[in-house]
Amino acid sequence: MNEDKFIQVNNLEKTYENGYQAIKSVSFSVKKGDLVCLLGPSGCGKTTTLNMIAGLLNPTGGDIIVNGKSLLNVAPKDRNIGYVFQNYALYPHMTVLQNVMFPMTVGKNKKPKDEAEKIAQKFMKLTHIEELADQKPGNLSGGQQQRVSIARALVQEPQILLMDEPLSNLDARLRLKIREEIRNLVKEVGITTLFVTHDQEEALSIGDKIILFHNGVIQQDDKGQDLYLEPNNQFVANFIGNPVIDNFDVKVTDKKISGTDFEIPVEKLDSTKFRGDLADGDYTLSIRPENLKLSDEGELSEVIDDVELIGRERVLKFTHAGTNQRALIDLEQEIKPGDSVKFKMNLDRVYLFKPDGERIY
Amino acid sequence: MKDNQKKAWLFLAPAIICVTVFSIWPILRAFTMSFQGGPLIDLQFNGLSNYQYIFSDPEFWRAIMNTAIYSFLAVPIALIISVVLAWFIFSKIKHTAFFETMFFMPYVTSTIAIGIVFRYIFNGEYGLLNFLLKLVHLPQPDWLDNPSLSLVSLIIFGIWSSLAFNIVILMGALRNIEPNYYVLADMYGATSREKFWRITVPQLVPTLAFLLTVNLIGAFKIYTQVYALFNGQAGVGNSAMTAVYYIYNKFQIVGTPGVAMAATVVLFLFILFVTFLQRKLMKKVNS
Amino acid sequence: MKKKKLRWGMIFVYLFIGIFGIITVFPFIYMILGGLMSYQETTTIPPTLIPKTLRWSNYQKVFEQAPFARYFLNTFITAATTTIVTLFTSILGAFAMTNLKFKGKGFIQLIFLSLLMVPGEAIIFTNYNTIAHLGLLNTYLGLVLPFLTSIFYMYYLQSYFTAISPTIYKAAMIDGASDWEYIWKILVPMSKGGLITVALLSFISGWNSFLWPLLVTNEDKMRLLNNGLAAFASDAGAQTQLQLAAATLTVVPVLIVYFIFRKQIIRGVVRNDLKA
Repeated sequence: MNEDKFIQVNNLEKTYENGYQAIKSVSFSVKKGDLVCLLGPSGCGKTTTLNMIAGLLNPTGGDIIVNGKSLLNVAPKDRNIGYVFQNYALYPHMTVLQNVMFPMTVGKNKKPKDEAEKIAQKFMKLTHIEELADQKPGNLSGGQQQRVSIARALVQEPQILLMDEPLSNLDARLRLKIREEIRNLVKEVGITTLFVTHDQEEALSIGDKIILFHNGVIQQDDKGQDLYLEPNNQFVANFIGNPVIDNFDVKVTDKKISGTDFEIPVEKLDSTKFRGDLADGDYTLSIRPENLKLSDEGELSEVIDDVELIGRERVLKFTHAGTNQRALIDLEQEIKPGDSVKFKMNLDRVYLFKPDGERIY
Repeated sequence: MKDNQKKAWLFLAPAIICVTVFSIWPILRAFTMSFQGGPLIDLQFNGLSNYQYIFSDPEFWRAIMNTAIYSFLAVPIALIISVVLAWFIFSKIKHTAFFETMFFMPYVTSTIAIGIVFRYIFNGEYGLLNFLLKLVHLPQPDWLDNPSLSLVSLIIFGIWSSLAFNIVILMGALRNIEPNYYVLADMYGATSREKFWRITVPQLVPTLAFLLTVNLIGAFKIYTQVYALFNGQAGVGNSAMTAVYYIYNKFQIVGTPGVAMAATVVLFLFILFVTFLQRKLMKKVNS
Repeated sequence: MKKKKLRWGMIFVYLFIGIFGIITVFPFIYMILGGLMSYQETTTIPPTLIPKTLRWSNYQKVFEQAPFARYFLNTFITAATTTIVTLFTSILGAFAMTNLKFKGKGFIQLIFLSLLMVPGEAIIFTNYNTIAHLGLLNTYLGLVLPFLTSIFYMYYLQSYFTAISPTIYKAAMIDGASDWEYIWKILVPMSKGGLITVALLSFISGWNSFLWPLLVTNEDKMRLLNNGLAAFASDAGAQTQLQLAAATLTVVPVLIVYFIFRKQIIRGVVRNDLKA
């Protein structure tokens, strides 16, 4: 068996009866023991994909292979998976212990009561909820409920763990704490995990790799840092990064890239980084706000509309050719609204996208 | 999970079988029987003659008239009393739960048993009602044995029986009215009466429409109250004959099931029509 | 000036509630008291309100003159059976309609909804025909058979079941539970309130049922309480105190159940009708 392709999703499709295509031929693979994030805006198909892997939804095409075996005609309960729901889905009438034990008290995998209890205790210890054993879920905080639902998902020692936005019902501080706990836990247990989220920061910090979805299609399947530094297309560039990337409408003619009030000769770009021929025409030039540097010989002359302080950094907001743009500078450089400044683009970190979103540079 | 989980039919099977045999089949059977004559064991097709019979039977028309008079008097009167009572209990006094519990009692009790008490209270010779009427120098009619009063007694009994359900439903609706409406009205200095007419009544309209139609449909089917009040008769000389009583009579006593089913079909279609009107009304009220 | 007006208003309110309160409760009190009077006391003018001595012997006479113990037993058996079986079939049906996806669901839904509009009185006589054909007159089976499922209660339970987050069902499926296990280990315990309400309403309506048992029983030993009571009222003739004692016997058990579970019963009635 190929450890690198522990989970293989091949040309997965989901078209609903009303004709809506939620998933259009999605393929990816996951290495054994990895924690992979499925990222994307709401309605992009990430949860649909997760539910098809879990068997809660039937795909209309393609295949899902885990550990060398197709799961297509296997019922959810026989897929040997753990699932953590966004709303935790704890059984409100059972205690924490009963909740965690539940998978071992039903179906084919019934275990003797004391054995089940012992296993449950083990996982409750792992998730630090031993002392809540006799509480009902209604009395627990969001974070505690989340731990219970993780313990319940792990108790059958499934081959994969699926998590659907497990942190979105928690407050910001707790979210940071729990996401670290989740990462440590799944690494400790060594379980292959798929983690659905719409929060890029969460995905970047927790995932071994990130699969970015949009409109039912995978936009990019890469390490988090590569998603940021080397976006495949305009969507990825726009979606990843905070503050968002600056986009300038440009025209390429005569080996020159010309925007409104600025011009960059094409030869200044690194010729090895072109992904195709740069034909003349309309393009979007994108650059991350931190790659606009204050400099007297900068290409862009701007008047600052607004300044926002975000901790260590200063966000300068300005309007270029009618669109709002941002630059990220050090806190020390004191710029006030109304100031006139010049920005120099870091040309190593510039992207060019075709009108259809494809990256050309 | 499969998109077509056939096992669903397994879970639905007991309900579907029971419904088919005891709800769907009897409707179809009632239709066919309404075109048949003769006793139950020897039914013969006789065309429309059952319908011709009932429409020319003065007894049938009396039953229809009685049912209509009962419905269109008892239902609105009971509804008005219920609204006033529910509003008073809800807004004017303490111990709301106590009064709600008290007023709901008739809903859970046997009509037959309460009918015995009412028969006793209505008794022309030693009944409590006539004793009270005598105290205030009013005439003391024979409530049960005077054919012209049978319907009046039935209406009184019917109002008494239907207050319970109305009050409890109205209390539920009153509780659902956003309390801040009243807080706001208080801030603008609205009087109690203004609050009732300007906030409560408009908010109650859907509930009132619902109660009106449900009560009417219930009233069209009145039977047990008649049986209870007149001790197994439809009043003296059938003076309180109602539609379902007529059907029961033709089916069980006279032994002409075809005629009974023709009357059933007429009643059924009429109720269906009112239900249809109700749906329309509720849709209009809710939108 | 304003205060005075207010006070008159409150007097009217108290008077209105008071009068209707008495009208509502008095028949019950009068029934209980009258059942303990002597025959003379029930027929004197002015009417007696409080009996001089409480004649509990009236109840003894009632039990001697008619098999009320048997009526109680019959009523309890039929009401309990219909309640339990109805709950069972309604739970299964409501589960399928709530949690399962299948072809024809919309059609079934439509049929069920239309049947909700069919008045029971329109089908009761043809049902009598069916039961008679099956030779089930004067049997327990005949008494309960048409009432072993209720679309109304199925709908009622559905409203409880749909209130449970669908992820609970998904979680149970992933935890390895079968549908059967989901129903009894999760759905039923989580909908306890709704099930108790359905059980109470179904039992009370079974206890008070009249027209159907009147049709399908004619032997005295198969009669239910209300039919027995109606027959007794005719047979006992002018023995008003015995009629009232028998009526009390019929009503008191339901009233006890009502007072214990009044919250569930009232809430249940309000809930299903606001949804309609």
